[in-house]
Amino acid sequence: MRVAAVAVNTFRETIRDRILGVIILFALAMIVASLWLASISLGQQDRMIKDFGLVAISLFGLIVAAFVAASLVRKEVEKRTVFIIFSKPVSRSEFIWGKFLGLAATMFTVLAGMTVFLFVLAWVVAKSPSGSLLLAGLLIYLQLLVVVAVTMLFATMTSAILASVWGICVYAAGQLSHNVLSLSRLGHSAVTHAASVFVFYLVPNLSAVDIRAAVVGEGAVAWTSLIAWGGYLIAYLVIALFVATWIFRRKEF
Amino acid sequence: MPTGVSVAGRPFGDAQDVTITDDRQHPSRMLEVRDLHKTVAVGFRRRKVEILRGVDLEVRDGDVFGLLGPNGAGKTTTLKVVLGLMRPTSGSVTLGVRGLAQLGYLPENPYFYDYLTGAEFLGFAARLFSLDARERERRVAAILADVGLERAAGVQLRKYSKGMLQRIGIAQALINEPRLVLLDEPMTGLDPIGRVEVRQIIQQLHERGTTVLFNSHILSDVAALCTRIAIMRDGRVVWQGAVAEALSQSPAGDLEGFFMDVVRA
Repeated sequence: MRVAAVAVNTFRETIRDRILGVIILFALAMIVASLWLASISLGQQDRMIKDFGLVAISLFGLIVAAFVAASLVRKEVEKRTVFIIFSKPVSRSEFIWGKFLGLAATMFTVLAGMTVFLFVLAWVVAKSPSGSLLLAGLLIYLQLLVVVAVTMLFATMTSAILASVWGICVYAAGQLSHNVLSLSRLGHSAVTHAASVFVFYLVPNLSAVDIRAAVVGEGAVAWTSLIAWGGYLIAYLVIALFVATWIFRRKEF
Repeated sequence: MPTGVSVAGRPFGDAQDVTITDDRQHPSRMLEVRDLHKTVAVGFRRRKVEILRGVDLEVRDGDVFGLLGPNGAGKTTTLKVVLGLMRPTSGSVTLGVRGLAQLGYLPENPYFYDYLTGAEFLGFAARLFSLDARERERRVAAILADVGLERAAGVQLRKYSKGMLQRIGIAQALINEPRLVLLDEPMTGLDPIGRVEVRQIIQQLHERGTTVLFNSHILSDVAALCTRIAIMRDGRVVWQGAVAEALSQSPAGDLEGFFMDVVRA
């Protein structure tokens, strides 16, 4: 009940924030701009709209995830709204989980809107509706939920801006970790390989659920791998939130 | 049935950290603080500073209790320890109520959620006490009327004036119909009209039998409202008693003179 109360409150507060509206407008403008790119790409219109559109959704979704998640926790501490919440029978874990679920609902609303917009655009302009486009949107949502959880974890320890930067770094590392591991296998240094394996397991392997290639017709969706890596990312975000709760419980205000 | 909550060295924001103690031996005691110490580490070198040095405080049922003292005396820290927002280094806090469910709190210079309306914010506060929908609706309407904000119920909080924010802050502290209300500098930054409104609310709470503990630097408000006071200096309570007793000990018969004598002694 109290987790739901915090979540509903967070959803209302974030969804009404004008900055979110501005970010969504920019994202939609960028998706529409894919039409121009498509017009100068001979025979590749369908591919350009889908590829560029998904990049726009990821990019602007990342901005919302990293910056809003950091401010959700830090702003409450810095502006002392936590005094009001924790002077009521609310535990630290209820607060962290409520904040996460509230932002997850906001992210879902934003990403669903952008993905459906892209789907309709691809359908109307390129005459190529694709169910995998909706699946790609859902998987971008999963990737960004991990970023939200990790950013919230950092926000319990450091300032909002640093937590956002760390969140973005984790996203970038998560997109590259698979490549780094593959490259290290080509070398002969055992130390480099061991370090790469360590980094691979430490950062969330976000690229494992990236199906953009399949959406634009380069290969098929590997369902077994997708389900396994999806489960791994859910476990990763749950662990990140448990660690955030553990740190937050030790905080004094 | 246990009626008190003790906290020693742990926050009680999390239910598992609450230690319930039977407080029926002292039915008139609403809050008792005994030998409370708090040390914090400050600066790069984590230098230890003792900000509470053995605070003893007793607030009785039905009191309007004023906690006075110069800046840095430890008033806000004492309230934070009582609420579990800070952990004491040593000492004890015993509440005559069943934990945070029967307690209300207004922080100093409160900030609220800009994009929520007054009614939504109070509804949120009510949900944190796990009240059902009908009860939430009843209490939100009643408390908005009590603090004179019925007309602003649907307005987002970013459009509220400072005085209105202070009243909505008091409203959220009262949404659970608490038996003990802690107000941290409730008159700070308010214009004379806002101060009178807050004073009226505290007076109404007293008439209903609610115990109120508040910090203030405005001694005329304290003299007008409080039944008992405590004066803090350097992390200790240096005087505690009835307002009438304080006034009788002042050469000029005013609280300001008595306060100055005590903190300069």
